[in-house]
Formats: sequence, structure tokens, C-alpha cells
Amino acid sequence: MAPPAQSQRSPSPSQPSGKSEVSDLKLQLRQLAGSRAPGVDDSKRELFKKVISHMTIGIDVSSLFGEMVMCSATSDIVLKKMCYLYVGNYAKVNPDLALLTINFLQRDCRDEDPMIRGLALRSLCSLRVANLVEYLVGPLGSGLKDNNSYVRTVAVIGVLKLYHISASTCIDADFPSILKHLMLNDSDTQVVANCLSALQEIWSAEASTSEEALREREALLSKPIIYYLLNRIKEFSEWAQCLVLELVAKYLPSDTNEIFDIMNLLEDRLQHANGAVVLATIKVFMQLTLSMTDVHQQVYERIKAPLLTLVSSGSPEQSYAVLSHLHILVMRAPYIFSSDYKHFYCQYNEPSYVKRLKLEMLTAVANESNTYEIVTELCEYAANVDIPIARESIRAVGKIALQQYDVNAIVDRLLQFLEMEKDYVTAEALVLVKDLLRKYPQWSQDCIAVVGNISSKNVQEPKAKAALIWMLGEYSQDMQDAPYILESLVENWDEEHSGEVRLHLLTAVMKCFFKRPPETQNALGAALAAGIADFHQDVHDRALFYYRILQYNVSVAERVVNPPKQAVSVFADTQSSEIKDRIFDEFNTLSVVYQKPSYMFTDKEHRGPFEFSDELGNLSIGVEAADNVVSAQRVEANDKDLLLTTSEKEETRSSSHNGSAYTAPYDGPATSVYASQTQLIETAISNPASAGQAQQASLAIDDLLGLGLPAAPSPPPPSPQLKLNSKAVLEPSTFQQKWRQLPVALSQEHSISPQGIAAFTAPQALLRHMQSHSIHCIASGGQSPNFKFFFFAQKAEESLNYLVECIINTSSGKAQIKIKADDQSTSQAFSTLFQSALSKFGSQ
Amino acid sequence: MPVAASAIYFLNLRGDVLINRLYRDDVGGNMVDAFRMHIMQTKELGTCPVRQIGGCSFFYMRISNVYIVIVVSSNANVACAFKFVVEAVALFKSYFGGAFDEDAIRNNFVLIYELLDEIMDFGYPQNLSPEILKLYITQEGVRSPFSSKPSDKPVPNATLQVTGAVGWRREGLVYKKNEVFLDIVESVNLLMSSKGSVLRCDVTGKILMKCFLSGMPDLKLGLNDKIGLEKESQLKSRPTKSGKTIELDDVTFHQCVNLTRFNSEKTVSFVPPDGEFELMKYRITEGVNLPFRVLPTIKELGRTRMEVNVKVKSVFGAKMFALGVVIKIPVPKQTAKTSFQVTSGRAKYNASIDCLVWKIRKFPGQTEPTLSAEVELISTMTEKKSWTRPPIQMEFQVPMFTASGLRVRFLKVWEKSGYNTVEWVRYITKAGSYEIRC
Repeated sequence: MAPPAQSQRSPSPSQPSGKSEVSDLKLQLRQLAGSRAPGVDDSKRELFKKVISHMTIGIDVSSLFGEMVMCSATSDIVLKKMCYLYVGNYAKVNPDLALLTINFLQRDCRDEDPMIRGLALRSLCSLRVANLVEYLVGPLGSGLKDNNSYVRTVAVIGVLKLYHISASTCIDADFPSILKHLMLNDSDTQVVANCLSALQEIWSAEASTSEEALREREALLSKPIIYYLLNRIKEFSEWAQCLVLELVAKYLPSDTNEIFDIMNLLEDRLQHANGAVVLATIKVFMQLTLSMTDVHQQVYERIKAPLLTLVSSGSPEQSYAVLSHLHILVMRAPYIFSSDYKHFYCQYNEPSYVKRLKLEMLTAVANESNTYEIVTELCEYAANVDIPIARESIRAVGKIALQQYDVNAIVDRLLQFLEMEKDYVTAEALVLVKDLLRKYPQWSQDCIAVVGNISSKNVQEPKAKAALIWMLGEYSQDMQDAPYILESLVENWDEEHSGEVRLHLLTAVMKCFFKRPPETQNALGAALAAGIADFHQDVHDRALFYYRILQYNVSVAERVVNPPKQAVSVFADTQSSEIKDRIFDEFNTLSVVYQKPSYMFTDKEHRGPFEFSDELGNLSIGVEAADNVVSAQRVEANDKDLLLTTSEKEETRSSSHNGSAYTAPYDGPATSVYASQTQLIETAISNPASAGQAQQASLAIDDLLGLGLPAAPSPPPPSPQLKLNSKAVLEPSTFQQKWRQLPVALSQEHSISPQGIAAFTAPQALLRHMQSHSIHCIASGGQSPNFKFFFFAQKAEESLNYLVECIINTSSGKAQIKIKADDQSTSQAFSTLFQSALSKFGSQ
Repeated sequence: MPVAASAIYFLNLRGDVLINRLYRDDVGGNMVDAFRMHIMQTKELGTCPVRQIGGCSFFYMRISNVYIVIVVSSNANVACAFKFVVEAVALFKSYFGGAFDEDAIRNNFVLIYELLDEIMDFGYPQNLSPEILKLYITQEGVRSPFSSKPSDKPVPNATLQVTGAVGWRREGLVYKKNEVFLDIVESVNLLMSSKGSVLRCDVTGKILMKCFLSGMPDLKLGLNDKIGLEKESQLKSRPTKSGKTIELDDVTFHQCVNLTRFNSEKTVSFVPPDGEFELMKYRITEGVNLPFRVLPTIKELGRTRMEVNVKVKSVFGAKMFALGVVIKIPVPKQTAKTSFQVTSGRAKYNASIDCLVWKIRKFPGQTEPTLSAEVELISTMTEKKSWTRPPIQMEFQVPMFTASGLRVRFLKVWEKSGYNTVEWVRYITKAGSYEIRC
């Protein structure tokens, strides 16, 4: 156990300050060790207490090991326990001294008091010193045969501990089969339960290498064992019941009679006071009836009441755990819970994590009969003091509107939101109105009237601004002022920091231009000029594309930019049903709370390359994990129209989501044409490099088109002597190893241009940028304003690696770079390359 | 999939470690630093009680001025982990007699380490029952009762009890006076709209028992709940007696209750643990008698004045009374001056919670005191509609009243020695979250 850092220790004077105290204790312990005077136990106890309290607050008292062991010869059980605790803590770092304790522990294992036998055996197994395992086998073997059940429960877990210290010793001693025998024959249910835990762990770990273990693991799910456990279930403690029920949930009954037998037997478990037992029972019921649709339905009805009771009792944390499970059930079968919507109303003082789940459930259960009440209730929350919840509830109103056919009332509500004149309410409502219009274009008249009254100056949030601009472009013929509002927005182009908004502005001006050319011409020219000069890559590209397509043929341009739109009928779900089913299979575990399957957060390859360690302490999620999630979502997004708001939930929940997933498909039809048209245009334009003077805007359309192209992207940097392999690969473990071994070749501070900082919206952007310079990221982490990256690069045609740690502070605009290299001599060249790549970030 | 906890920490609000117990080696020793750095010192604290950092998940709970943190490295069972923490705290409380806070932990840390060793082994929960643990973990630290010399005293069937099946009761208990105390405690949750319609209303109740009974008694409890009564009249083939019957939405029982018998005969029969315990919990949503009606009118007169009138009506029997009634009426943050008139109790403005707090110590049934107040506001230019009107909240206790109407019809005690018992039954209704929007 690594003691917490010294600096975090409480400075209060009553607490010992360090070395002198420890040596003092050492002296006192030594004096007491041999003493047999009456009352010596009491003074020992005081001393031991001091030692333990030092240990707890993180002072290293391992130097007292010898003295502690000498003092341990006592009949006082409390003293013994303190001593065992101490030994357990420090044996691992003092394996040699641990040998000293073996003797007295082994002796205690043969004590006549079963308590002492149990305690000694537990401590013996907790030493965790690999070269002492030989001393464990004997006491464990006799512990398993002890006639006292307390000793047996300890011994069973002891076997599991032994397995974790030395698997081969445990298997060689044939302990698993002894445990199996105990599990099936012991009279004490705690022994049985511990055997089950231990065997599950051991056989699962062995299953990958041993056929036999695999068979044994399967055998745990066989009918005789399951029935044996089920028949005794009432004798088990509540915790052990959870364990057994978890196992039963994996059992595959042979026929429906068996299913009903098990359910009848377990039905009363739903009345258990322990919520964990109830949830485990629910899991059994759910899993057993998966293939029986009717019964499955009845199960939902049956478990509703117990779940709702659990939600309303216990601490907020407990009810959160239950609510997460209720949430997944509601999402699977909302119609079953639609009459219980009132249970999901939020109380004013509930923590926001509870409210958030409740809001999602309210959204899901809304149907024709309860929509009015639910929306009324949600509107109450829009005025909530807790702003994130207020936003969440406005979004919920929007989602209900998108689900329902009868949206009259809801549209009115949304429009009322716009009139509330609170920035965040307006912002959320704007986004919703936009979504609504995409699904129900027939509402445009009502909505546009209200939207037209909103001053664009009061809308600051990028998403809301983008939504407003989209509406201005799309409905410019209905909005009197649309061209002028757009024009004023174009005038303030430089003050607009969000790339997303600028993209939308470009498109909106284009759309407006096709509808009201004379009024928009000015704005379009200015927008294209500004767009082409923009440092944001996507904005630049889109402006250039518009420019070229206009030049090529105006009517083609109109077909591309402003095609007749079909109303969106169904918005895509962000999570695939496969993932949802996987989460459901892992009911009653963390997966449900995190809303992702367990492999996403327990497997190393999904979690990212690094364990939490001191050196790389700040990295939580590796890029690889993020990429996996994103690519999974992209697949989803490709075939359907992924909407901004539906993906927002993901964004708030998982840091791995990156913005591009919804910016790309935002303009639906336009982007799909984009690719095919680009090629056509490229060939149509004969001399793309003819112009470099495009920076001035022109008034006439002819001039606008005649301007030609702006300078091609800045000339490639003078090719450095160092060439990097663009397809370099490096194993994370190799990286870690190298990082530890290599000395720091260069350590520099480098400032980042304001454009770079501005483009630094998501770390992914930087990663992609660096990748284009053949510098690959292996891990990243941190939160604004501090980000940390680990990059690597490989020299072309040689497998020489460069490793970089780069800490970027976006508020100060500084990057701290540490470079380590296989070949020290080229590290300077690499550093130059790295810095030039970094400095170009955001400026293209 | 193992559900084992890897470590458990007790921290004070500053993040100092009070207790740490590592059960498994699969997490590093710096987990507590990770918790401090990524949860305690960020805004994350309180946003979600389950968090993932690196490969580990942290479950944390604040209890008085202590954080209890469980660290797991696998896909663990969350409900089980939180329940474990709650049960463990209850166990500690029963050892220190009441309070569970930083001081109590500092004063009893050796005991807590002892208990942590017993209640969880290698991350798997073991025995958490205070009745059994108290048999062999005592602060006196004497050798356990079933220890060495057979001549000492008759060894009770202790081995069974340490881990055994009937975990909740010891044999051979003797009381001079056999008594049972039964408390029915209900809390009413209400959410009322500003128009006076009930949006949501339910009662969560629990039956608390205190048993001082000799031997191994068998108890049977009869309530006026619908299912129980119907079943009874079916068995005795006579029509259901008229009078109020209660429909319980859901019931959960202490582990001592024979659930099979409850399911077949609908009677609550059990062998009680010794001392205090929670026999059952129930939930009712239909036919709730609200003890109080609140009729607020809040008028904003211009931008600097408000008029608040609140009438509270007690709708329970005239002979009963409520105790400790507190009505919190929210006012805007920029309140400058308030003046009150109340027909009963006392009112004052509490600036720290932005509320007018109206307290009535004893509130008889069938009365309707009123409060009228004038509130002056500091005029501000920013955000004209900034006040969101939080709901009025109410606290109260009404003895001898149940919002659900639940009554104990009988409590029978059988013991083979056939002693007489004295039974005491009390009812009380408290406010849960009693909110009235205005």
C-alpha cells in the first residue's frame, strides 16, 4: 500500500510529525516486548493504536516491523488484530521481515479459539508475499476442514487470495476441487457463498488456458448446482443472495415449466428490503423470460411497484442506482410505464443526477394521453435555478414534440420559451424550433413569426446561433429582414469565434441569395471573401467550394445548396440496438449506470493504453477509446440523418464524443452531393491557380464570379531534412517502456498562435492536424485549459522513434514540450519539425 | 463476474484519510489521490455518485462530514455497493451509539478496522448483522465468548450464529417484562401545482419495532390492508367488514418475515430480532389524506414590492394537533425588508435560504392560520424576470395520524412458555417532500 503523500497530511499538532515520533515508538515498543508486568497489554494497546493511526494518515511506520512482531505474543485479541492489520499492510514491502511473522501466524492458526484461528488464517493469506506461499498451503488445507464454520469461511476466501498471489500453487494443491466439494456439502451458507465467489473467479481466470476450468465454469450453471443453490436461497445472507441470483440469471432453463418454477420460487425476493436483492431478482426474471414476449411483459408489470418503492426510499445515491435501472427498463418499454409518469416528476431539492434521469424517463413515457401533463411539468423546470436541468428540460420538451403527432400545444410552449428572455432558454428553444421545423415544415409560419423577432445580438451560444442562421437561410423568403440580418452577421465575421456558426452563415447566405438575389448579393460577396480568407479549414473549403460552383453554373449551385427538402421523419438513435441489448444483458452492474457495455470501460484496449499510474496520472481516456466510439457513431450517422440535438446527450455524457459527428451531416442533402460535385467542378475549372488577389469583395455578381481563385493554400514548408514515416505504429506498452528508459533530449516551451488556440475546440482537432504531419498521438487527456498529449513519430525508413510529451495551456497559449528520442543526434531536427507543425495548427 | 470491492476509504471534507482499507491489489495505492484530484477538488463533486477514473470506478457517498468511497476495478454491482455502505454505517452507529461523523471515526478507528475486516473479506461482503457481530467484536476486546476452556460456561450454539442461517436472533434471551413497541411512521410526499391541483402525492411508510421478548417468540401482525383483509374473509368465509381498507402499492419486509407465508396467506408472521429493527416498508399512492392544505397568493407589485398571503389549513381531526410545523415561503434574493402579520406562531425572514420561515409549534386540527407579509425588494436593473418562484416547502409531524389511514388491527405473540406481553402502538405522520408551487 502506498501511503498518501506526506504533504496532504493534516498539520494539526496532535498528530505526530514524523521521524522522531516513530523512533520514540520504536523504543517504547521494545521496552514492552519482553515485559510480563500486569497492565502491559493496556499500554501496548495504546502504542499499537498510535502506530495504526500513523499508518492510516500515511506516515511510514514500516521500520517498526520487528518490534511489532515481537510484541505480538499476546492473548489479547484486540492487540492481535491491530498487529495483523499492521503486518498485512507492510509485509508486501518488507518480504524478508514478513518471514518473521509466519511463525506466530502459523501457531495462531492452531489456536483453540476459532476466532483466533480464523483471524490468523486471514492475516496469513493477506501477506501477499509470493515467496511465502509454501507456508500457506498447510494452514489453508486444515482451515478448509476446520469444524468451525467461521474458520472455513475465512479459509475459502484465503484460497482465492492464494490464487491471486500464486495461481499455480493454488491449482497444484487441488484447492478448487475442495472448494467445489464444500460448496455442495457445507452446512453453512456463508461458506457456500464464499466458495461460489472464489470458484467463479478462479475458473473464469483459468478458463482461457485450461479446458477443464472452462468445463467447471460451465458446470456452475448446470441444473443440479443451480437448483441446489436456489433451494437454499432463503438461508443465504442478503449479499450472498445477490451472488446466487447473479448466477441464476445466466442459467438457461430447458423448458418453460422450469422458468415458471424458478420465478415462483423467487417471487417473494421482490419484497426483500435490500434493494440489491430486488434488482438481482429482477435481472433473473428479465433474462429468463427474454424469449417469451407475453410473460416478459407481465414481468415488467410485476416489477414496477417494487422498483418505484426502491426509488423513493433510501439515500439519493441508492435511489440513483435504482433509477438507472428503472431508466433502462423505461427506455425498453416506455408504454408500460406511461401511466406512472408522475413518479418521474422531480422534487425541488433532488440532486441533479437524479433529476436528469427522471427527465429522460419523462420524455420516454410521453404518449398521447399524458403529453399535456408532462409538457406542463417540464415547462415548470425550464425556470429551474439549476441551469443545466432547465436546459435539459427544454430539450425534453423538444424531444417529446418530435415524438408526437399532436404538436400544437408543444409548439406554443416552445415559442413561449423564446419569449422568456433568458439567454439559455432562448438558446435551447431556438435549437429545438429548428429541429421541429425540419420534421414539421407546416409549422413554419407560426415559428418564423416569433423567431423573426429575436435579435441575433441576444443569441450568443454557437449552437443556438447556428440554428437561428439556419432558419434565416431556410426561410429567408418569409422573413422580411433575413438578408439584412445575415448581412450584419457577415460584417461581424471576424468577431465570430465559432467555426460552426461561420459554416452555417456561409450556407445561409447562399440560400438567401437564391431566394432574394438583389438584396443578398452584397452579403454573399463579403461572406465568400471572408470565408475564403478564413483560417478554419472547413470554412475555407466550403467557401471555396461555393465560390467555384457559383462560377461554374449558378443553377447547379442552387440545386446543390438549396434542393427541395423532405421533412425528416425519424431522427436516428445515437445508440445502436446491439449496444443497448448488451447493456441490458449486464443489468444490475455498472454498465447500466454508465450506459455503455462493460467492455468499453473495463477492457484495456477500449479504455486507452494507460493504466492509472503516477507518471501518466492525468490521462484518463486514451484517444483510441474516443476514436472507437466516434467511429461507431459515424456508422450510425451515415445512413440516417443524425440530428444535432439527439447527439447532444452523448456529448454531455461522454467526453469521447467529438463535434464533427454532427457538423458534417448537418446540411443533409447538400453534403451528399458535395463529394460528387467537387470532382466535376475541379475538372471544369481550367486554371485554378490564375488568381491570388481575391481578398476584395465585389458588388456585381459577374465580378464576384470573375474574381478567380485566391492563393492556393500557402506553399508547402521547405522540406525538412528529417523525413517521418506517415504510417508509423507503436505499441502503447512499448511507448511506456521507452518513455521510462530514455532521457529527455529536449525540453522547450513554445507559444501557440491565437488561431491555434481558437481551433483548439477539441483535442481531436489537434490530433488530426498532427497526424497530417506524420506525428501520431498515443494518448491524450486533461480538461480545459490544461491538456496533455503524448505523441510519437518514426523516422522514415528507419525505426527510430521520437516520443513527445506536450502540455498545452489554452489560457496562456503556451505549450511545454519534452522530447525523447532513440537517436539523440536528430532530436533537434525533429523538434523543429514538431514546432513548425504545431505552429501551423489552426492557421490553414 | 466478481462484484468485489477493491478498497474502501473514509475521508473527511478536506480529503484527509480517516480510514483506508485495501482489500485487493488490483488497484493502486494512489486511488485516494485520484479521488481527491478528480472528484473532490472539481465541480464534479456531487454531480454524480458513480464516477470512472482511469480503469477504476468510484462510488461515493457523503454521510454527515465524512465521504465514504468504494473503489472497484471491475463491472461491479452498484446497488449492492451503496447498500453495503449504508448497512456498514448503520452497523458503526450501533457500535458508537448514535452519531457517525469524523470525530466518531477518529475515536473508534481501531474498532472500525476490526469491523471492516469482518464485514468484507477480499472485497466480498460477509456478515453485517450487528446482533451477531456484537457477540464477538466488543470494544472490551476480551476473548470471544465461545473461546477456550469448556469449563468456563456452557458454549451456546455460537458457531451457527456467527455465520449461521437464523442470523437475526440469539437463543436464550430473558426479559422480566415482555414488551413490544410498534411505531408506524409515514412520510407524505406532495407536489401541488400553483393552481391547487395535486400533481403527485404518495406516502412511504415504515413499521419500526422494538422487541424486548424472551425466548423464540413467533409474532403475527394484522393490518387493515385490502389484500390481507380479503384473504382473511375468504379463509373465514365471511364478508369483509365495512370500514376503511388500504391498498398497499408495494411492501418490503425485514429478512425475518416469512415471505412464503405472506405470499400464500397474506399475513405478516416472523420471529423478531432482539431490540430495534425496521419490520416493513410500504408505499401508497391512492387515497392519501393530506394533513395540510396550503393556499398561497403571491403578488408582485411593480419591481420593488411583493405581497405574500399564505393560508394553511389543517384537515385532520379537531382533537389532534401537529407539532413542529415549519412553512418556508421563498422570496427573491434581493429582498430588503419584510413585515409580517401572523394569526398563529412566529415568522421571520431568513436571508441565507431566501425564505420567509413561519413556525408554529403546536397546530390544532381543523384550524386555518394565515400569514400576510409585505416584502420590499432592492431594485436591480439586470434580468427583470430573474426570480423563478421556487415552491413553498413544509415540515410537520402529526402524531396519532396516518396519511394512508393504515391501522394495526392486531399483534399476536406466541412463545412456548406462554408469557404475557405488553404491546404499544404509535402512529406518526411526517412531511417528506411537501412542496406547493406558487
